[in-house]
Amino acid sequence: MSSKLPASPLEPRAQDGAPKKKKILVPKVENGHETMVEIEVDDVAGPEWGPREKLRLLNHEFVRVDAVDKVTGRARYTHDVRLAGMLYAKFVACPLPHAEVRVDLSAAKQVPGVVEARVVRDGEIRFVGQPVAVVAAKTREAAEDGARAIKLDLKPLPFAVTREQSLAANAPEVNRRGNASKPDERGDAAEVTAAFARCAAAIEATYSVPVQHHACLETHGAVVDVPSNDAATVYHSTQATFASAGEFKGPLKVSDVEVINEHMGGGFGSKFEAGVEGRVASELARDLKVPIHLMLSRKDEFLAAGNRSGCTATVKLGGTQDGKLVALSASVDRFGGLGGGSHAGLPYIYSVETSHRSMRSVYTHLDGNRAMRAPGHPQASFAMESALDELAYALGVDLVEIRKRNVGDVHAKQLERAAREIGWAEHPHKSKPDLSDAVVKVGIGFGLSQWGGGGHPECRVTVDIAPDGGVRATVGSQDLGTGVRTYVAAIVAEELGLPLGGVTARIGRTSYGPANASGGSVTTASLAPAVKHAAFNAKRSLLEALAKTLASAPDELVLDTQGVYDARSKRRLSWKDACATLPPAGISAVGEWQANLASNGVHGAQAAKVRVDTRTGEIQVVKMVCVQDCGLPLNRTGVRSQIFGGMIQALSYALFEERVIEPDLGLALNANFEDYKLAASREIPEMVAILDDDDTRGVIGMAEATIVPGHSAIANAIHNACGVRLRSMPLTCDKLLLGLAALKKG
Amino acid sequence: MKAFEFASPVTLDQALAELPNDVAKRDSVKLFAGGQDLLTEMKEHLVEPTKLVNLKRVPGLDRIELAPDGTLVIGCLATLGALAEHAETKNFFTCVAEAARSVGSAQIRSQGTVGGNLNQRPRCWYYRNEHAPCLKKGGTECFAYSGLNKYNAILGGGPSYIVHPSDLATALVALDAQVTLRSAKGERTMALEKFYSLPSEGDVTRETVLEPAEILTHVRVPAKSGWQSTYLKFKERGSYDFALAAVAVAVKSDGAPRTIRDARLVLGGVAPKPWNVPKAAAALVGVALGSAEGAASSKRAGELAVVGAEPLAHNAYKVPLVQGLIVKAIEALAAR
Ligand SMILES: Cc1cc2nc3c(=O)[nH]c(=O)nc-3n(C[C@H](O)[C@H](O)[C@H](O)COP(=O)(O)OP(=O)(O)OC[C@H]3O[C@@H](n4cnc5c(N)ncnc54)[C@H](O)[C@@H]3O)c2cc1C
Repeated sequence: MSSKLPASPLEPRAQDGAPKKKKILVPKVENGHETMVEIEVDDVAGPEWGPREKLRLLNHEFVRVDAVDKVTGRARYTHDVRLAGMLYAKFVACPLPHAEVRVDLSAAKQVPGVVEARVVRDGEIRFVGQPVAVVAAKTREAAEDGARAIKLDLKPLPFAVTREQSLAANAPEVNRRGNASKPDERGDAAEVTAAFARCAAAIEATYSVPVQHHACLETHGAVVDVPSNDAATVYHSTQATFASAGEFKGPLKVSDVEVINEHMGGGFGSKFEAGVEGRVASELARDLKVPIHLMLSRKDEFLAAGNRSGCTATVKLGGTQDGKLVALSASVDRFGGLGGGSHAGLPYIYSVETSHRSMRSVYTHLDGNRAMRAPGHPQASFAMESALDELAYALGVDLVEIRKRNVGDVHAKQLERAAREIGWAEHPHKSKPDLSDAVVKVGIGFGLSQWGGGGHPECRVTVDIAPDGGVRATVGSQDLGTGVRTYVAAIVAEELGLPLGGVTARIGRTSYGPANASGGSVTTASLAPAVKHAAFNAKRSLLEALAKTLASAPDELVLDTQGVYDARSKRRLSWKDACATLPPAGISAVGEWQANLASNGVHGAQAAKVRVDTRTGEIQVVKMVCVQDCGLPLNRTGVRSQIFGGMIQALSYALFEERVIEPDLGLALNANFEDYKLAASREIPEMVAILDDDDTRGVIGMAEATIVPGHSAIANAIHNACGVRLRSMPLTCDKLLLGLAALKKG
Repeated sequence: MKAFEFASPVTLDQALAELPNDVAKRDSVKLFAGGQDLLTEMKEHLVEPTKLVNLKRVPGLDRIELAPDGTLVIGCLATLGALAEHAETKNFFTCVAEAARSVGSAQIRSQGTVGGNLNQRPRCWYYRNEHAPCLKKGGTECFAYSGLNKYNAILGGGPSYIVHPSDLATALVALDAQVTLRSAKGERTMALEKFYSLPSEGDVTRETVLEPAEILTHVRVPAKSGWQSTYLKFKERGSYDFALAAVAVAVKSDGAPRTIRDARLVLGGVAPKPWNVPKAAAALVGVALGSAEGAASSKRAGELAVVGAEPLAHNAYKVPLVQGLIVKAIEALAAR
């Protein structure tokens, strides 16, 4: 090959023979916060996904391998674990946001069935719902009664649970370094002021987003079993199985911890840590020498297991007559309780010539926020997409055109596709809302998303082929719900010419081999290449072994869905017969991450159509469209299901979800599934998920991108329908009715 | 959970014998029907009874029948699901079937009973939080009054601002339903409207005039020939929710075009009891359904319906909401 040609991945060695290296950007999640870091990897030849039209399983639609287990109740979640002699533990939480607490355990210890009662934390309590005591008992009912019997001596302290309370002149101290952090500033304010002078129009408004909950159907918690002095087994509902093993070692004081997490009922970013529940369960199990089942109650889950931070963002945005964005200035307050909150930078996805932004955290006596599906992005999306929409109307520019004018080609193309699918061309209100006297009105809105989703080398996958033809793919990774178990099997089946059912995937256990934590949509791009590599190696070993038995050569052997064909002897062996020639131990091959099989950076465009009844303020989302890229879709059903899930979660966020803390009493008023409303079946619109097949890159995670813009598109559609701009989520009928009344008054 | 005795009488008399006469014991002995409200109250420790009297073994109380004179007789143990599907109820007492259908989810409707629905306790989130010692729980303050009152009353409030949560009650009051209350001493019958009391009228911790020794055994809805009715409920979340506001409208009409001769209009979700607005209903009388005049009279009815409304800080939206619902409900009747 000519040395003038650029090096291809198939030509891995540099001139001097040392393995060629390349630098790639990978996302890294630490304490729930994602950053991109550069790492160096070998740029070696390896497996390829191959041309898409040749793929038989991958890039096709198939049902999850564990679907039936999940819907029939056979799948075992941490909640379901029952061990001999196990005790149920239950927390007692502080009902107040800020108090001096003393705990009296004596009555609890008298409750029949109660084995242990302990103080978890006393003294100063700093958030509503902070666990202060725990009870372990023989039955769940006894644990409830024991928890009830614990007496809390509460001395209420002054608290701040709202922004206003936290920033008030005489506010109680929430954070030692001040109730608001020092603003983080980017850009040049003076330049932006000058830029506004060049704008044909500018708008300024304040947008606010409430605190949202992850609302995992399976609450946080663990079942901890310490059968000996040096080893323990922890069943843990976690999205970081391997980090969890390390965390549990501390309180368990053992050197060997196996974490098991076969199925989990949602994490959405809230389950990276063992948490106080993991620590307390470990201490109880260690001291009492019996297995401990400690899963949070629904109320504990709402109050002490993290949340998506809220925010208020004041945005001023200006542009030219034809909609080119020229100037943006923004100031953002994040509300992450005792945590810092998260908010992606503005102008977010759009390019604006000049911008300045200032961002700070305002602290309150509520539990700290945690990562939640695309941390900080939905908040930034709401402010930016709303402001952009407002500017479009001020300028009289088409809502799709103004977006296309300020983004890159991929987004522009996806937006066009979304617009076509939602019926934008036929829609009569493209740059003015419907201000007619009609009682029922229809509007359309848009929003864009982006995400990283690249992978990194952390997984080790083993593929075993047994002489009876059985194939097992093994890796410790958890399945956050995205379909990991299914694509692990599918990738191996594709490589070995087998049907999906021909491979058993074993996951969710630390002893199965290392894997990454599932955060930042990195799992697929980290794991899939390693699975492919292991399958590739297993195939190579199989063919090498067969070549010996058949007195042929590995490159004379072809493995496909018909089994093995030996070009030398012109003989064909079925898969079963080929495997039968293997030694009793069969074949075991290991795979690791391959940079060439993954990529990074996804784009999406969404559109929403709503129907507004101006008499009642009823808002009905009738249709949502998402156009999403993700490199190679491993399982198109899986990708579409992530898109649907993202759109539904965003719809629910748009219309209903909001943590309500009573500002005077400090009590949580909706820490349950009745008052904290989630969208249910009748709220679900027609949903169209379109995979952007122009994207020919390797595998990329996309799950987070899908939740970013849906609520923004819905808010924009409401304005488009009736002229009321709802700047504060959730977008409920009370706000709309007052908005409509104000509009009438003029 | 506090231990309690579970009595399962098999006759009404046995059930009545389990009940206390003493008002002070009202919350220690509780009737247990579908349990859909009572159990949630117990789990939240809002009531901690020492005895539950299970009504479900008492035969015959689950019947829904049309008496020879056309009266609809509903036993207290009839489930909401059965009522929603009952053919005569759907045909002749439409708003009642629609109200039953609008309750909760299919699961709640298949367990929840008519007696339990009419006697359920408020959903106000202050009342439902055991740490908020509100008026309804014997405290001294209605926290909703100056607090987060988006879901509270705009009419008839004070000193407590709960709204009555029952969908069925609103619809039944619109059709002039009567309730039968039995005790060991005998029986009394009263208009359902009178069964409910405002917080300013009596014991602020109660919503009804039911005595501790009484069981609501039957609901009777008089035959109303020539009447049509509908129940329109606005839920924040359509899949299942309590009413932010609701209206039950019944009209008697004749002729072609159909001219309204008599009307009833009752509001739900806006007051501590079903809010009957006869003056608003009267505004509908004499006009033809579906006519331009009819549209104007619906608007007029909407205005009259909220006379006296005193919205709190976060629930002024209920005024236009109720008005919008009235217009929509009458349009729906005109389209039938
Ligand atoms: C998730 C959820 C959603 C709901 N949604 C709605 C809704 O949309 N609309 C609505 O109206 N309700 C709703 N409910 C409330 C209520 O539970 C149901 O309406 C149901 O009808 C209650 O009936 P029950 O038989 O289960 O009552 P129970 O819980 O058995 O009893 C309720 C109360 O009535 C008393 N009682 C029962 N029977 C009698 C009787 N015959 N005489 C005197 N007192 C009696 C009991 O002592 C108790 O205090 C909902 C409840 C839940 C949990």
